[in-house]
This record gives sequence, structure tokens and C-alpha cells, in this order.
Amino acid sequence: MAAVQIADVRKTFGTTHVIRGVDVDIEDGEFVILVGPSGCGKSTLLRMIAGLESITSGEIRIGNRVVNDVPPKDRDIAMVFQNYALYPHMNVADNMAFSLKLKNAPKSEIETRINRAATILGLTELLDRYPRQLSGGQRQRVAMGRAIVRDPQVFLFDEPLSNLDAKLRVSMRAEIKDLHQRLKTTTVYVTHDQIEAMTMAEKIVVMHDGIVEQIGAPLELYDHPANLFVACFIGSPSMNVLKGRVELGEFITAGGVRLPLEKTPPSALGKPAVYGVRPEHLKLSADGVPGKVLVIEPTGSETQVVVEVDGQPITCLLRERVAIQRGDTISVRADPALVHLFDAETGKRLTD
Amino acid sequence: MNTAVPSSSDGKKDAGPRQPKKGSLRPSHWPFIIPALVVVGGVIVFPWIFTLWMSVNGWQIGVEQHFVGLTNYQRLLTDARFIDSMGRTLSYTALSVIAPLFLGTLAALIFNTKLPGRGILRGIFVMPMMATPVAIALVWTMMFHPQLGILNYLLSLVGIGPQEWVFHPATVIPSLVLVETWQWTPLVMLIVLGGLASLPAEPYESASLDGASGWQKFRFITFPMIIPFLLIATMIRTIDALKSFDIIYAITQGGPGTASETINLYLYSVAFTYYDVGYGSAIAVVFFILIIALSLLLIYLRQRTSWLLGDA
Ligand SMILES: Nc1ncnc2c1ncn2[C@@H]1O[C@H](COP(=O)(O)OP(=O)(O)O)[C@@H](O)[C@H]1O
Ligand SMILES: [Mg+2]
Repeated sequence: MAAVQIADVRKTFGTTHVIRGVDVDIEDGEFVILVGPSGCGKSTLLRMIAGLESITSGEIRIGNRVVNDVPPKDRDIAMVFQNYALYPHMNVADNMAFSLKLKNAPKSEIETRINRAATILGLTELLDRYPRQLSGGQRQRVAMGRAIVRDPQVFLFDEPLSNLDAKLRVSMRAEIKDLHQRLKTTTVYVTHDQIEAMTMAEKIVVMHDGIVEQIGAPLELYDHPANLFVACFIGSPSMNVLKGRVELGEFITAGGVRLPLEKTPPSALGKPAVYGVRPEHLKLSADGVPGKVLVIEPTGSETQVVVEVDGQPITCLLRERVAIQRGDTISVRADPALVHLFDAETGKRLTD
Repeated sequence: MNTAVPSSSDGKKDAGPRQPKKGSLRPSHWPFIIPALVVVGGVIVFPWIFTLWMSVNGWQIGVEQHFVGLTNYQRLLTDARFIDSMGRTLSYTALSVIAPLFLGTLAALIFNTKLPGRGILRGIFVMPMMATPVAIALVWTMMFHPQLGILNYLLSLVGIGPQEWVFHPATVIPSLVLVETWQWTPLVMLIVLGGLASLPAEPYESASLDGASGWQKFRFITFPMIIPFLLIATMIRTIDALKSFDIIYAITQGGPGTASETINLYLYSVAFTYYDVGYGSAIAVVFFILIIALSLLLIYLRQRTSWLLGDA
């Protein structure tokens, strides 16, 4: 196990700047998730940690050793690829044993390690099968088994669940988390799925366009997004945003709707700003803002209602069951204490 | 050779619900099959049955054709010239399979790297494949010439004395294999290159992390994964080398003496020099059985590697 430090790392492919200065500190034994939309450079960063891509500038350290020029095989890391990357001509046991055999580990030790990994992952029955004889979930587990037997300093996962069906994804999510609880190996996990990030991570790194937008614990990002990008990216359904300006004690939308604020950040007064509120922080209330109901989606446990406010669809997540219909006019109110304000130009969070 | 193309032949096809059961051929289907049957019967089945028939007959020019049973086959067992030619054929074939396979694989590995100008080099490299056998024979006969040939000149540059090449019984077979190798290494290279191009990239990344060196990646990843392609190349080369006639005939006519007389050349002499058609047919039948047996063995080996061809 080891800590990983990424310091001002950059990567260019030809003239394309894919990673544009990333700093991340990963503590020993931590489970960190890199999340961001497709193409933001998550895989590239992970592959640089693995040594599969060169580092254009900056420094990556694994356990206090700068690894910029260390070949992948000497970095003592294991990686699980999105498409599993199993050896098609080897059975499950051989797939897992390969790295140990290359190290000339004694036969008995190889066997012990494989059996241990197979037990942890429920692969004992499948050791003789070839990859093509396995389902997607089983292949995924073999890929993880191959990583586990190595007992590496760091585990790297690149979207390991995105080729699985929804149900399997949820159960594998729990399995990977459980695995980390047991092994306590430092883990860097890449995904584009913010739900995966929220449910699994100890620390989330939100990436966008080759830079880090915010680093923090899942709920920290949810409750205090540092900017508009993080605010909209984290959370499902995503945060409602309205453009307008900040006045003393209230926010006035472009269409003139007045929304109360608990605190007015002095620096924001009079400035163009963005008002954000999460769907579950909206309530039906007679003294709220009126809006026409566009969509109603009851799920049983809650009801998702989309209302039109200031010409924009606003999503509300209501815990109670409500007797409203499409076309009705209802009035909704945000809890002023739970409202977020962002600078309209920079997207930065406006704080008091 | 319907298995020459790699395909995921699991043999576990689920018949769709609408598909008629295998083998249920209705009478109304027959008219569509008859033309193919006639052609196959006329050009493949009939000649073979006829050859089989000739092989159990005395059938010589000037002698009336008469049924002799297995006499021709018995004669084969004691015919030293036949047995020698069989041995030569096998050693010629073994060498003409192994050498191009080894060199072709090596060439494919080289051409598979990002070699500058590899397109042009590859084009030049495959040219021997396109030359006609008689032209090749002419060029190589001149190169083999002990006094005037370029090969002895090249040897003299590295201090090796002149060789007699195809003009000496001891070196004639290796010399002919050299020609065969020169001509057919490109084919093997193309087959293996196709195989290399079809390999997935991901296992190599796994292997890098798992600690494999370049040689270990070849030994444990590349090599096992191209085995099906090597087997195809082996099959094609084996059949081709067994059948080889034109180049040997044009360069040595089986000589010196009978030192390069393979079964094909012996068969040619028996049938067209001595006009012993019945005996020649018996040789042809035995030879055919040999080819079929080797082919079946290779097909069997290839199918055993079909686990490679599923997606992973
Ligand atoms: N080998 C490469 N050559 C050129 N561009 C690349 C290469 N690999 C990735 N890219 C580009 O880098 C960007 C980030 O890719 P990637 O790290 O795979 O994104 P993510 O994993 O976040 O979806 C993409 O725009 C992609 O096109
Ligand atoms: Mg990716």
C-alpha cells in the first residue's frame, strides 16, 4: 500500500492538451474516484499513473518514489480495464497466475494466492474456464482477481462496471467497496457515472476538460459544490439553475421572479449570478413561486414534478403524494438556507 | 479447406425456431442441388473413382487392360525407388514447411512494427510469390551454377568454398528447399501479419503491468494467440510442398541420378515415361491418402485451438 501524489501533471497528444495541470493527493489506503464527463481525460490520467502513457510534465509519486520514468511493470500497481483485457488463451487460474509466474513465485504460493482471490470473488468454480466461456460480470471478477493476487501498492480501475447491466452494476459496486474495506489497498477508480462516484468513493475528484474542478468527500461536493460545473454534474436529478442577479436578501431572475435568500454575499450584490437549488429542496408552499406543471412522475417513494418557472423547467422532488395534474398551476418554494449562488461569469461559488 | 479462415466455430449453434431441421431436404429442393452434384461428381468424384479403378488394373501401353487386384500396391512395398522417393518427399516437405514458417513469422513480426517505409519493403518482399515457377527455375539454376553462379561468389566473399548446390546428391534437396523457401516465405508472412493485425491490444497492456518483458509478451501472449494462423500457414505449406513438382522438374528433373526424385516426379516417370498407368495410379492413391491424413491432422490441431477465437 502506498500514497499517490500527482503534482501539476500535464499531458499533450501532439498539439492537443488533454491534461492541463492536475494536482491530486491520494492517501495511503484511500478509495478515490476520478469522475467527469466522457473525454475529460480520466483514463489518460489513470494510464499515466499506471505508466501506460508518458507524462508530458509534472510529477507522479507512488509511495514517495517519483515514477515518471519507471516502466509499468516496476510500479507495483494493478489495473482493471473497462474491457477486462483478460488473456483470451489462458483459463481463469492462468490469467490470475500470470504475473506471479513471471516473478517466478513458488507454485505453492501461487496456488494459495489464487485460491484466496477466487474465494473472495466467488470464482472457485470457474478456475478452469476460458474468458470466452464467462459472462461479463464473471470476466470483470477475473480481472479483479488478477489484480488482487498481485497484492499491489495501488489498484487502478478504469470504468470497470460500464459494460455490465444495471442490476449487476449495483451489486458489483457493493462488492468492490467491500473488497476495499477488506484489503485496504489504495485505489484509484475512474468512472463517468456520478452515482457510482457518490456511492463508492471516500474522496471524489471531479474532472472536466483536463483540469480538476473540485476534490472532496461525496457529501461535501453535494452540499458545497465549488462551481456550477460540479453543482450540475453531481446529483440526480441535477440541480435547477436560474440566471439573474443578486439583490439584498433576494435573487431576481432574468424574467423578474423574486426568490428569497438567507444571506446575501456582499461581493455578489448587483452582479449577474446563477441561482441553484436541488430538486429535493423545493416544497409545495402557498407563499412560493407559481408555475405550470409540465410533467409528473410518481415513483412511489417520491414524486418528481417539473414546473415551468420563469420560462424554464424546474424539477422538484416531493416526498409527499400530491393530487396535482399536468397543466395545474402550483406554487413551489426553495428553502433559502439550502440555496447555492454562483458567479455568472466564472461559475465560481459565491460565498459570504 | 473450408476451415482455412479463422472463424468462431463453436459447433453450438442454436437453431432458430423457424429454421427447418438439419437434413430435412424436401423433394422440391432437389432441382437446385443437382447442378452442383453433377459438377462435383464429374470433376472430383469421377476422376478419383477412375484412378482407384486404374490402380487395381494392369494398364500399360501395348498390354491389354486387365484386373490385377492389389498387385500394384504390393509392388509398391518392395519398390526401393518408391520408398526412397517417399522419404525424399517427406524431408523436402518438412524443410519446406519449417523454413518458410520460421522466416515468414520473423518477417511478419518485423513488418508489424512501425518500420519506416514498411509498405514498400513489404511490396518488394512479396514479389517472389508472384513469379512463375519456370522463370524462378531459370533464375535459380543460373544462380546455382558452380562456376558462374552468384551463390558461390557470395560464399567466397565470406570465405566459404564453392558448393555444387543442385548438382550434387547431398545438397540438391536443401538447395531446392532454398528456392521453395525464397518463393513461399512471403505467403507465410502475409498470413501471420494478418493474424498479428487481428490481435487485441489490451492483453499487452495487462501484460506490461503484470511485469512481462518484450520477449515474455511474445512468448506468452503473441505466440499462443497466432498459433491458429501458424497452423493455417502450416497446412497450406504442407499441401503445397507435398505437391511440389514444377520447380523440381524444371531445375533438376529429379537428378542428379534420382537424388531429388520426389513422389511426384517418380509418379510422372511411371505414368508418362514408362506408361505404366495402373502402377502410377496406385502411387497416386497412396500419395493422396498421405496428403489427406496430414491435412486432417492439421485441421484437428487447428480446431483444438478454437478457444482462441472467441471474444474476450
Ligand atoms: N492516444 C491518444 N492520442 C490522441 N488523443 C488521445 C489519445 N488518447 C486519448 N486522447 C484524447 O484525450 C482526451 C481524453 O481521453 P480519455 O482520457 O480517454 O477521456 P475519458 O477517459 O475521460 O473519457 C479525448 O479527447 C481523447 O480523444
Ligand atoms: Mg475513459
